[in-house]
Amino acid sequence: MKLTVKPLKQKDAGRGLAAIDRGAMDEMGLENGDYIVLEGRQGNRAVARVWPGYPEDTGDGIVRIDGQLRQEAGVGIDDSVSVEKADVNPATHVTVALPQNLRVRGNVGPMIRNNLSGQAVTQGQTVPVSFGLGPLSSMSGQKIPLKIAETEPSGTVVVTDSTEIQVSEKPAEQIRGGEAAEGRETPDVTYEDIGGLDGELEQVREMIELPMRHPELFQQLGIEPPKGVLLHGPPGTGKTLMAKAVANEIDAYFTTISGPEIMSKYYGESEEQLRDIFDEASENAPAIVFIDEIDSIAPKRGETQGDVERRVVAQLLSLMDGLEERGQVIVIGATNRVDAIDPALRRGGRFDREIEIGVPDKDGRKEILQVHTRGMPLSEKIDLEEYAENTHGFVGADLASLTKESAMNALRRIRPELDLESDEIDAEVLEHLEITDEDFKEAKKGIEPSALREVFVEVPDITWADVGGLEDTKERLRETIQWPLEYGSVFEAMDLDAAKGVLLYGPPGTGKTLLAKAVANEADSNFISVKGPELLNKFVGESEKGVREVFSKARENAPTVVFFDEIDSIATERGTRSGDSGVGERMVSQLLTELDGIEEMEDVVVIATSNRPDLIDSALLRPGRLDRHVHVPVPDEEARRAIFDVHTRDKPLADDVDLDRLARRTEGYVGADIEAVAREASMAATREFIASVDPEDIDDTVGNVRVTMDHFEQALDEVNASVTQETRDRYEQIEEQFQRNEPGMADEDRVGRTFQ
Amino acid sequence: MNSERTLFGDVPFRRFEYDDHVVFAADVGPVDDASVDIVDGTIIVVAGDDQYEQELPAGVDARAFINHGVLTIELSDPEEEIR
Repeated sequence: MKLTVKPLKQKDAGRGLAAIDRGAMDEMGLENGDYIVLEGRQGNRAVARVWPGYPEDTGDGIVRIDGQLRQEAGVGIDDSVSVEKADVNPATHVTVALPQNLRVRGNVGPMIRNNLSGQAVTQGQTVPVSFGLGPLSSMSGQKIPLKIAETEPSGTVVVTDSTEIQVSEKPAEQIRGGEAAEGRETPDVTYEDIGGLDGELEQVREMIELPMRHPELFQQLGIEPPKGVLLHGPPGTGKTLMAKAVANEIDAYFTTISGPEIMSKYYGESEEQLRDIFDEASENAPAIVFIDEIDSIAPKRGETQGDVERRVVAQLLSLMDGLEERGQVIVIGATNRVDAIDPALRRGGRFDREIEIGVPDKDGRKEILQVHTRGMPLSEKIDLEEYAENTHGFVGADLASLTKESAMNALRRIRPELDLESDEIDAEVLEHLEITDEDFKEAKKGIEPSALREVFVEVPDITWADVGGLEDTKERLRETIQWPLEYGSVFEAMDLDAAKGVLLYGPPGTGKTLLAKAVANEADSNFISVKGPELLNKFVGESEKGVREVFSKARENAPTVVFFDEIDSIATERGTRSGDSGVGERMVSQLLTELDGIEEMEDVVVIATSNRPDLIDSALLRPGRLDRHVHVPVPDEEARRAIFDVHTRDKPLADDVDLDRLARRTEGYVGADIEAVAREASMAATREFIASVDPEDIDDTVGNVRVTMDHFEQALDEVNASVTQETRDRYEQIEEQFQRNEPGMADEDRVGRTFQ
Repeated sequence: MNSERTLFGDVPFRRFEYDDHVVFAADVGPVDDASVDIVDGTIIVVAGDDQYEQELPAGVDARAFINHGVLTIELSDPEEEIR
């Protein structure tokens, strides 16, 4: 029966499975797990096991197989392949040959059997086997190509638990297999090796595969087939990988141009090299010319200094869309600085389509993790979903290094057992190698998203529970920041735009920064912290650029919380100050346009704190910019009680300590003062303890020490309320002003004024 | 819809939901003497000396078989779940 080949989901790849749609399965009388033979056009055969078809395929006559099987059967995606039920005998005996450079001591038979079990093999076939890590972890990929030297019974057999595996004396290189193995190689990169870029991959395939396979389609439509695709996006997102996979899958002649290589010191030679590459490609058409980092050879002509660059760009332009017909040569360009490329290249006929390869979302990250952990001996406790969820802003390369680092951690664990002196590694050690959840956790600590590396801050380990009191304030923050991310569908249904920014204001020490820290931790987003003065630069225009860069980074890595501490330092009222050549004003303007400009801030929230909101430029505070003004008041008695709770939670308190009374007596104390009181009280207790006890007994008696009410009395004498009558008056004024300005703050009474 | 879940403790299963039934499948690798049976609304998988059990939802027609290492459980109602 003829079926159409489609790619398998990343999850199912690499195990010799073929997902056949239900309709076709019923027609052929197949059951899950049956063996089938896939035969491609050139008569290449591959054996696979039946896997339930994807529900969306039902009735479409589709078989989904991975790159390995596609290569074996000699078919590509959307080709048709004949599928037949196969009778496969269980193997009683299989002899495999290992590659020459693999040195393993002991009996690797059981391990190979575990890896191969269930797979159908034929004599002469090369099977990639994952050996865990081991000595070859530095080799490209983690798979070791094994050659099947002999099988018993002959023909296609399946390896079972009772199959005897023997390792041949001769290395794989010397074994000439059966006729089926001729000229066949395991693919380097297949479509299944790309995770989370399904949409982009589809676009690239449509631009490249279709015109190469079926040029007649384009003739029929009377249009020229596309000539080039430009892939752009942040580093590490998979642009080069995608080009490799496409080249691999469509079996076209593939040649790469790497910028610096074609440059020559002789006049005219750089251009000649370019011409040569294109000539060679058109002789071998259909062909793909891949130009990696195209910004290095095709910068804007107006901006380059060198004469050579200009000529190279001109040459490239005419090669891509010149008088001469280029034939079936398609150019793929990749760059992470798309705006640095000469604009003449970015038009139809040259690069017909520009495809952005973005930072992957949660599902994409999960697929990428699945791809990279496919060959790894993972412990069953590892939940990839969880890692996909909390790796915001990670690109493919970061996730790859996450998996690699965790594997290295596992390796480190067995290092003591390894005898580095000997040439060979014990097979048993290899067998025990397993990557645990701890290895992953440990690795994650060390890896930060590469796109955020410049501005990355460790997300503080503070939760809502560490913020005492301020219940209403917390609730408002949660509404503004967590809800739009968590309940996106509700916001959409209500046609509600998420707030763009929140201003936390209140007297010093009331916990504004602490709240921002808790938000950063709880919002499950990336967190960029901007310290105002850091953005200032001595060159004209550079300070504004700093602001711009912060926001563009935030957009790239959304969802992101951008945190401006003490925003009054960089966003003061315009027109009141002179003498700094207007840098401050220009920064405010930049901030204004970033917050509410033409460019949409998707999933980027700004949190700013200030204790002088009256100094901030009023344009910044209007709705649409920092539209939520959350007031962080001086705590009332109840709140002070909660704050005492937080700060004495882990302190050994004596029974006579009455937190309620303390809360009553600390009128005018802010959070920071209360923290100081608690600290001073413990310090007093410590002082007393150390002075009275013999140093030798300290370790034994430290468990008996308690902080008593007396200690708190002493502390209260030392720490005074930081809010004075003066501040009191000022904040009352500010508050009134803000209440007038913001009609949405009708519930101010509930939130509480600074002073009750 | 495709989704994943683990049954029998920690075997990762893929869930395939079709119009009139739902299929759970897992590639457990070929175990020579593995067998699967449904007795009184409980799926029992026996592999060598080990035995795994999984409750089925009540009142559902189910079919389970293991074939060359692919363990399949089919339920007649696409809305049903195995937990």
